[in-house]
Amino acid sequence: MSLEKILFAFVIVLALTLNVGFVYGNPEIIAFHDPYDLCIALVVSLIATVMKFGERSLLGSTMLATSLVADVQLIAAALVWGLRTMNGEAIDATGSVMIVSLAVGAMVANVVSVVLLVIETASLRR
Amino acid sequence: MSARGVRAGPGVFLLLRRLRAPLIVLLLVYAIAVIGFTLVPGRDPAGEPWKMGFFHAFYFVSFLGTTIGLGEIPYPFSDAQRLWATVSIYSTVIAWLYGIGALLATLQDPLFRRVVHESRFSRTVNRIREPFVIVCGYGDAGALVTRELIEDGIRVVVVEKDADRAQLVEVDDLTTNVPALHAAAVDPDVLLQAGVNKPWCIATLALTGDDAANLTVALNARLLAPGIETVCVAHHHEHQAAMARVGAGHIINPGDSFAERLAEAITRPSLRIIYDSLTAQSMTPASTPRRVPGGHWIVCGYGRFGRTVSRHLREAGVAVTVVADQGHAGDCEGAVTGSPLDARVLRAAGVAQADGIVVTLADDTLTLAVTMLARELNPAIFSVVRQSEKRNTPLFEALSPEMAIVAGDVVGAEVLRIIRAPQLSYFLRLARREAEPWAAELLHRLQAAIGDNVPDSWSQRFDARSAPGVATVLAAGTTLRVADLLLARDNGDPWMQAVPLLLQRESGKVLLPDDDERILIGDQLLLCGTPQARSSLFWNLHDPDALRASAARRAPGATTVIGEYPGGAGARNV
Repeated sequence: MSLEKILFAFVIVLALTLNVGFVYGNPEIIAFHDPYDLCIALVVSLIATVMKFGERSLLGSTMLATSLVADVQLIAAALVWGLRTMNGEAIDATGSVMIVSLAVGAMVANVVSVVLLVIETASLRR
Repeated sequence: MSARGVRAGPGVFLLLRRLRAPLIVLLLVYAIAVIGFTLVPGRDPAGEPWKMGFFHAFYFVSFLGTTIGLGEIPYPFSDAQRLWATVSIYSTVIAWLYGIGALLATLQDPLFRRVVHESRFSRTVNRIREPFVIVCGYGDAGALVTRELIEDGIRVVVVEKDADRAQLVEVDDLTTNVPALHAAAVDPDVLLQAGVNKPWCIATLALTGDDAANLTVALNARLLAPGIETVCVAHHHEHQAAMARVGAGHIINPGDSFAERLAEAITRPSLRIIYDSLTAQSMTPASTPRRVPGGHWIVCGYGRFGRTVSRHLREAGVAVTVVADQGHAGDCEGAVTGSPLDARVLRAAGVAQADGIVVTLADDTLTLAVTMLARELNPAIFSVVRQSEKRNTPLFEALSPEMAIVAGDVVGAEVLRIIRAPQLSYFLRLARREAEPWAAELLHRLQAAIGDNVPDSWSQRFDARSAPGVATVLAAGTTLRVADLLLARDNGDPWMQAVPLLLQRESGKVLLPDDDERILIGDQLLLCGTPQARSSLFWNLHDPDALRASAARRAPGATTVIGEYPGGAGARNV
């Protein structure tokens, strides 16, 4: 057990949970989806990416790739949010669905990340 | 610090790994600043409560963190917002400073630079798509060989253990990009990085100053790439056997090479002139050097080189007196002990009557001083000096001894001969076995054919690719002889200014093939002649009509007809 390993797993799982938290709820109504949740999910996802730069394991490159996918999806969702609220407009149903579906894509990538993390941990010391 | 096992990837991954902490700090600081701005209450111009959106907050923090400062947007800030802006300014600027500092530190880091150096080297080597040679050791010999090979259009890859010398590759005025790796060539990984097993690699040259390292390089190259040429330098005789056993194709001992040439110059002066004119580098005209006298020679210094020279001189029938310091003369009989800088010592060695002197002392200053003293005592003496450091060249040029040797140049010249003209070095080896009359006759023939022109020597293979004309004529069943090739086609002298030196075929070799020697497909002919002869031979070899005309003129037994061959009649002028 090392602090670094705990932090690493913590950040990766947190990226997934925040992502799920943002996605949960009726995708057509933006009130179910909090912008702070999206912002923090994005920041945690970016931090997870940076932490994976250092991973030397065999699965490290795959984990870095899935993490980059999550980043791209979340940044796209944030951009759509920004564009749809430009000049004080409210987000309609199509915008809301678009943002949530992008975030769902990021969630899939984050699920893969967590699965890889579990596989790696399970195969350790065999 | 060289490559071991699997690398973590190119330099960029190492850089990102090193920058992990600063990047995370930067991300966190930005996130906190942005979220803070979306929470802190402000007021719009109408006095209504207002909070910044994520977009404006990110925009504001972005120009704040990079200290651009475009002002308070979109509305003038409330006091609470100004307080948060102050906190943000300090934290983001510090995060940036930390990040940039870490970036610069990593870029300066020797390990990082090493990784970048190696990956850049490997990339350049992998991109080479033409024949190249690996030069291990960038000393005098390595630098000479590199420069000359590049002039010939052959790419070179340098591996050098010493950082300063490896950097010289960039400083030296080379016309092509020469990738240079600063690493020990004895490491097999380094040889692989240098591309020894690449299909374009044609030779590995082990030219370091260390015999054991050269031996290792030769062995490694042999195992990693069995097909390529390996040239190995040996400064000590004891390593030569081992080098031959591991399969080094060519072993060069600079002492031996030079001593052999010196002894030959005494016993077979004609051969020396042939040798010099055939191996002249980059078209230097053949000068007439002073004839090397036999008789009595003095050898000053009895190190490795002095010993080799004395042995070869004695074998050439020269009386040798060795002058060496007390205790350094070893088993040499009749040696005069004492400092050669002492005129009495040189007189005791018989300098006044000696024909020649070889000065090979450890120190260049001493060598120069002894040579000057010997000349003072005997102005007619033939002086041969060994120069050990390249930077002293101007001094040696000013002294202008009859012969000056720099080990690096001797090695370089030998290596170039092997790489450039393997057939020529084989010819010279065969020629050494012949006696002086043979050499004198050849010299006479060369002078008659080429005159005062600058000689050029080249190998010609007779196959469908390099001599399609010859292949066509031979396939038609016509017999071609050496003389048929050498008939000139313009209206001047009927014969080309060229002499065939060596004909090699699978079944054997013919030294100095005569005019009636038959040419067969697959033969390789070494010729020496003027550049004009070389180009007109080239046209002959591509023109079956001209060859047929030559062969037809040459009726059996009618050798004299050829002398009257008008040249322009049966052939087109080119």
